[in-house]
Amino acid sequence: MKLNRRVFIGTGMAAASTLTAPMVHAASHGKPKVVVIGGGAGGATAARYIAKDSDGEIDVTLIEPTRSYYTCFFSNLYLGGFWDLENLSHSYGTLASDYGINVVHDWATGIDRDAKTVALAGGGSVPYDRLILSPGIDFVEGSVPGWDLSAQNAMPHAYKGGSQTELLKAQVMAMPEGGTYVMVAPPNPYRCPPGPYERVSMVAHVLKANNPTAKIIIADPKENFSKQGLFEEGWQKHYSGMITRIGPDFGGGNVTVDPAAMTVDVDGELIQADVVNVIPAQKAGHICEAAGLTEGNWAPVDGASMVSRLDENIHILGDASNQGDMPKSGFSANSQAKVAAMAVRGALTGSRVFPAKYSNTCWSLIATDDGVKVGAAYEPNEEKIASVSSFVSQTGEDAALRKATYEESIGWYEGITSDMFG
Amino acid sequence: MTSTSGIFASVLGGAALVLGIAYGWTARDHREQELGALTDRIEQLESSNAALADQAARQDDLLAIVTELETALATALDEAEAARQATPVALAEPEPSAAEEPETVIATATGLEFGDPEQGEAVFAQCRSCHQIGQGATDRIGPHLNGIFGRRAGAHDGFNYSDDMAMMGSDGLTWTIETLNAYLENPKALVSRTRMNFAGLKDADDRADILAYLRQFSASPQNIPEAAPTAQAREVELAPEVLAIVGDTDYGEYLASECTTCHQQDGSDQGIPSITHWPTEDFVVAMHAYKQKLRPHPVMQMMASRLSDEEIAALAAYFAESE
Repeated sequence: MKLNRRVFIGTGMAAASTLTAPMVHAASHGKPKVVVIGGGAGGATAARYIAKDSDGEIDVTLIEPTRSYYTCFFSNLYLGGFWDLENLSHSYGTLASDYGINVVHDWATGIDRDAKTVALAGGGSVPYDRLILSPGIDFVEGSVPGWDLSAQNAMPHAYKGGSQTELLKAQVMAMPEGGTYVMVAPPNPYRCPPGPYERVSMVAHVLKANNPTAKIIIADPKENFSKQGLFEEGWQKHYSGMITRIGPDFGGGNVTVDPAAMTVDVDGELIQADVVNVIPAQKAGHICEAAGLTEGNWAPVDGASMVSRLDENIHILGDASNQGDMPKSGFSANSQAKVAAMAVRGALTGSRVFPAKYSNTCWSLIATDDGVKVGAAYEPNEEKIASVSSFVSQTGEDAALRKATYEESIGWYEGITSDMFG
Repeated sequence: MTSTSGIFASVLGGAALVLGIAYGWTARDHREQELGALTDRIEQLESSNAALADQAARQDDLLAIVTELETALATALDEAEAARQATPVALAEPEPSAAEEPETVIATATGLEFGDPEQGEAVFAQCRSCHQIGQGATDRIGPHLNGIFGRRAGAHDGFNYSDDMAMMGSDGLTWTIETLNAYLENPKALVSRTRMNFAGLKDADDRADILAYLRQFSASPQNIPEAAPTAQAREVELAPEVLAIVGDTDYGEYLASECTTCHQQDGSDQGIPSITHWPTEDFVVAMHAYKQKLRPHPVMQMMASRLSDEEIAALAAYFAESE
């Protein structure tokens, strides 16, 4: 079942012109069918590109439970008071009206890989010739002892966009004077590597204005984190004395929480907190595991086309995939979606398939007009998607560059969301 | 019971005797062992001493060899220098061969030099309608040019620059001999929507002269052309064959999907410039300027650096066709 790139593209192209056409007719009584599960940065982009570039030759169904999609990326700007919640909200209307995508607001509950159908929570099933799976993340049970999903109201994760983000913001605003905010940071790998630290910056920004004697404590199981030098420089500059990070050397990886008592036990030391933001260890969205597409916590894919290494008819995008060097980010998922869309079109309609190129940039805001970024370009090899070049903002950059970087990030948000939703 | 105790007592006595003998034997044996260990250690030290002496001798040998080699090298260099001076026409620069990688057509040249400032003053006449320079110079249509060397682009207080020039400045474009040379040659290749309405000085000597003239009005002239990290290429004048590549629009369509993650297709330019309605040749030149790291933006340098000439042409063809 393991495919290498050449075999895959070769058979895909050959099949498109000769073999798949009759098979497709049998399966779908007409045009080839692509089903996309998950309407985020990976899924929405893939659906839109397949619909847009196939000129109606492929039926595209997008299964996404929420009617208004709240991006997880840039939700920190809402926490920091820079953006309203509405800035993060997007609808699927244009994908349906302008691109002819069949948008189904339901949960995909299972995949029958032999019959090539997707079961829906609301009943019925949807057949596919190719399936694109972009379900994002779920949490590893028991990774933070004392915490489970039933505790997410007392101790929000706010690591999936929407109501959790709102809840965390409300809790920060309601903190008592001089109160304590504790973040339990996740172990690698996880969605949005700089995300927890940008979030701390944004919470500090709000507290500095409203509650300057409040404290922020990060319990962190990782030795190092993304853009560490840039964040630490910024915290010192803007929020001196407010933020304490407890790394693994001091027991930051040995954490137990008690949501009823609102306490966090860090290596035997009990912290009484007012807000506890638990970001647990993560794994591929549950449906990947349920469909037998995971090895360990993630779903392995071939970087040439993002096709699953365990099923040649399923492509897996974004955070859920184990592809190699790319970080789990909205930008990465969007980049991977375009490669997968091209491969799927090639396989189903015989359109041309070019060598995959990937890229990613992650912007973070540390304080007002103090933006930083890190990015890299990637290309696949037989083993994985490998980084080929990279850059990162430097410490000590002048204010004009930091402001331009922030403005650039806003431009990127507008760019990627119109690339996703049309 | 008693007989048992007797046996016990004698066993104990025997045991004590055995222990006593054993202790005496052990103590003596221990001293012998210590002595043996010391002897071994002395032997070890003696042999390592010998090894060190051996090493020192070899080091001396090596030093002698190095000295010998240095002498030989110096002699060879002297001979080579003498031979070079004896030959009036030194090794000529090889002509760039047609088979070379197309990328090398806009190869870097670190040896930019200033020309004649007096000639430069004459060339500058065509700039005076917009730019003042020298004592009492003020901003007119263009900014005054006193202290231009080392100044961040778009950063002179009080002058209303184009958005593109301001953005280039915040991206890190600084005026050096390299960047000014490129800008003077083709202003829009370096800064796409600059307000400087000037076609460019195509003659390299004219540019060298005018740069020499301008430099006289910079307080601390930066006569270190190789020092600016973002200015490695001398020019973005592309070979005709590079500009003539006919792009593959299908490939361009796929490659363009990388651009639209950031650049909006509707032409909005908040924070990130618009790339719609861009003349093909300007597009190609700009991408090569990023590829050569002449334009400073790190994301664009990275994206352009992995594009071949054909891929840049494919992108340009796609963008040209899609509008």
